[in-house]
Amino acid sequence: MSNLDIINPPVIFNELGTIHPINQTKDFLLRLLSDIGFEEVHGPEIETEEFNFDMLNIKKSHPARQMHDTFYVENKKNVLRTHTSPVQIRSMLESKPPIAFTSAGKVYRKDDDATHLPMFHQVEGIYVDENVTFANLKDLIHKILYELFGDNVQIRFRPSYFPFTEPSAEVDILSDSGKWLEILGCGVVNPVVLENCNINSNKYSGLAFGLGVERIAMLKYGVNDIREFYKSNLDFLAQFK
Amino acid sequence: MKINYLDLTNFLSEKPSKEELSQKLFQLGHEHEIHGDIFDMELTPNRGDCLSLIGLARDLAVFFGKSNSIELFNDDIEPLEIDFENLSPKDCPKISFLEIEIEDSKVEYKSYLENFFNTIGGNKANLFTDISNYLSYELGQPTHCFDREAIKNKLIFENKKCNAIFKTLLGSEVSLKDRNCVFSSNSEIISLAGVMGGASTACSFNTKKVLVECAYFNPESIIGKSIKYNLVSDAAHKFERGVDIASQEMVLRRFTKIVKDHAKIKSIRFKSFGEAHNEDLNIPINVNKINKILGTSLNKDEYLKHLKGLGFDILDEIKVPSYRHDIETNNDLAEEIARVIGYNNIKSNPINLQKISDNFDGKVAKLESLLVKNGFFEVINFPFTSSNEKESINIDNPLDSNRNSLRESLKNSLIENLLYNERRQKDSIKLFEISDIYTKGIQIKQQKKLGLIISGRQGHNYNQYSKKLDQKYLNNFLNESHGKDIFEIVEISRNSLNTKKKDKIYYVEIPLEEIPDSFFSKLSTQRKAIDFIEYKPISEYPSSTRDFSFVIEDMQVVHEIIHMLNNISDEIIKDSFLFDYYKDDKRKIIKLGYRFIFQSHLKTLSDSEINKKVNEILSPTLETDGVSIPGM
Repeated sequence: MSNLDIINPPVIFNELGTIHPINQTKDFLLRLLSDIGFEEVHGPEIETEEFNFDMLNIKKSHPARQMHDTFYVENKKNVLRTHTSPVQIRSMLESKPPIAFTSAGKVYRKDDDATHLPMFHQVEGIYVDENVTFANLKDLIHKILYELFGDNVQIRFRPSYFPFTEPSAEVDILSDSGKWLEILGCGVVNPVVLENCNINSNKYSGLAFGLGVERIAMLKYGVNDIREFYKSNLDFLAQFK
Repeated sequence: MKINYLDLTNFLSEKPSKEELSQKLFQLGHEHEIHGDIFDMELTPNRGDCLSLIGLARDLAVFFGKSNSIELFNDDIEPLEIDFENLSPKDCPKISFLEIEIEDSKVEYKSYLENFFNTIGGNKANLFTDISNYLSYELGQPTHCFDREAIKNKLIFENKKCNAIFKTLLGSEVSLKDRNCVFSSNSEIISLAGVMGGASTACSFNTKKVLVECAYFNPESIIGKSIKYNLVSDAAHKFERGVDIASQEMVLRRFTKIVKDHAKIKSIRFKSFGEAHNEDLNIPINVNKINKILGTSLNKDEYLKHLKGLGFDILDEIKVPSYRHDIETNNDLAEEIARVIGYNNIKSNPINLQKISDNFDGKVAKLESLLVKNGFFEVINFPFTSSNEKESINIDNPLDSNRNSLRESLKNSLIENLLYNERRQKDSIKLFEISDIYTKGIQIKQQKKLGLIISGRQGHNYNQYSKKLDQKYLNNFLNESHGKDIFEIVEISRNSLNTKKKDKIYYVEIPLEEIPDSFFSKLSTQRKAIDFIEYKPISEYPSSTRDFSFVIEDMQVVHEIIHMLNNISDEIIKDSFLFDYYKDDKRKIIKLGYRFIFQSHLKTLSDSEINKKVNEILSPTLETDGVSIPGM
């Protein structure tokens, strides 16, 4: 029988925590975009109607501005931003083209059901330069989606409507089960928005896109219920090492 | 909006199959699902003009040609004498009335009307209302039918402050508040304009004389009313998206034709008020601009052919049809062209951007790395609370009264997260959140804050299992290793918390701006490339814990046994770890404490199922010489 002293105690493995899967996904997207050439810009979550809506060509009559869709705060003085686009507006006002900005963070909509949350995350991007076209937008979106879902992913563009882009598109990918899944919205920046940001729309044009971080995270990790992300259950969080 | 495939193809000169039709609808941007012959359309809000058979057919005509199958009543119609006043032309710039009297309202429906109600029209009401509903489906213009005999006095349209109970034609009662566009007669509100008519003037099965109102209401004047008053209204859906201001006479002639198809007409009268503000929108022809927007190389002939196919008139300029409220600029026209070509048929063209360095060595990333390395899990919480501190920002329209302001601290969220996990038998909890916090003073103040909370065991290894997370633990890796008291550590009392646990809770909250740069300069970020693991759903069934105390007499096998235990895996084993390691020098033995946590995704596990599994997984270790579990 051997001497006890020569037995080394068992190795203790460092018990690591995790970064929240939504932030991991957000960071993944930001890194992907900075690799392409987009610079991250930041802005507040409490916004004026001017920056959240008016500057983005979202007219007073647009359903999104109704009290049932947008959270208003402090006697309707401000809103909880409904997208991260106002961050881009603020940044565009302070710069001159060519510009390539990305903004990421929390956004709010007055929703709360099995598939919609009152708070979720977006990553958006905008690129403005001379001669930017819809064909450029298509190339960029393909690049992003190939990075996210592999080079063999099938991609479909569908016409859609956003007040701040024209033409506008929604983009789907073909899932393994043969169903088309909506992945992102994008379009050619509406010249009205450029003019609002003091950018000459006869000289410059732009493209813009926005991704829902939860949506990407759900697809990439295989999480079926969006609410799981916000229960703060350690059994859930511990999986994302 | 539901559309019957057979009805739609009546308006197209070619007769595409359902698959061909579906493919082209998607190409045009009209999402839908198909159930049998019914296409359930989900149209974008800018395309109110497509909310009808002819509307969709106008768009599809570019691929399948147009068939003119709408029959109108083309005879002269007598002018209507009606005592009507429009007090708010801004909200309703144009309105027309048709008065029809028929001999008998009890009629058998022609097949087109009967089929509509059999497939998607819902319940029938009475001849006039049924025709109105059918017309809305066919032409996209809502009309409202008043029982002519029920309106004895002057009819007024106005946008006025209301404080009245309004009974709808469907029988529900609505309490009208604030400003609304209404029709009234003799001081009584008889219709909530653009949303729903009232009970007192509604047509019945016996109505023989009807006053049909056909209007254009400004979308801004109607928007939000149906939701505010909880009225499901096809008319409001259409008015909110904009109807065709120039089509009223055509619509009412079509109404008359359908009445004539069903009943003998005694009299017809018509009158229009207001103008279809006749500012025809024209856009200069500029194919180069379109190519510049799309990145295509279209020639002028192709360009104009596509626009004509979509119903645009081309003279010296491009004339925008009166129903296309969404077209104002060349960018709008570019989208039209892209839809006809097909977004997927436009060739991609790379942009030339240069890679820039990312920003992952920022303060947030450094804190995250430090905390993750020390076993902390990041959480993200909603900011809504009912705490309502003086500095809290109030939400004017909260989801409910428990969420009527924004949190001014991360503390309550993290306490809730802690208790949630304690209720799920977690005995070692380390959580953190980094979030912007908004409070009000003279101005709205934005602060990025770090909050972290701990309670329970320090860890699940044999060194830390019996030690509790405490102030010293936090102090050690937050303050002492940096030689300063930067982080204030507070104990949170359990007295006011709904819990029976006894472990102490410690909490830290600090704005990032209050952490000195010197703290960060000692930290590094070790962020690995993100590997999207395959998530395994969490079981909602309870877990069971089994602890085993091994006695090992043969020192040669200690590490082999630990290795064997560490490598046991099974679908019902949720977690396992060595929580005790003890050298008994006197008896020359080593004792191991090993914990297994069992949980199934399918059911609550019984003791016998767990025992069976225990025997199965432990037998290889117990067959090893010099290894035993006393009492087993």
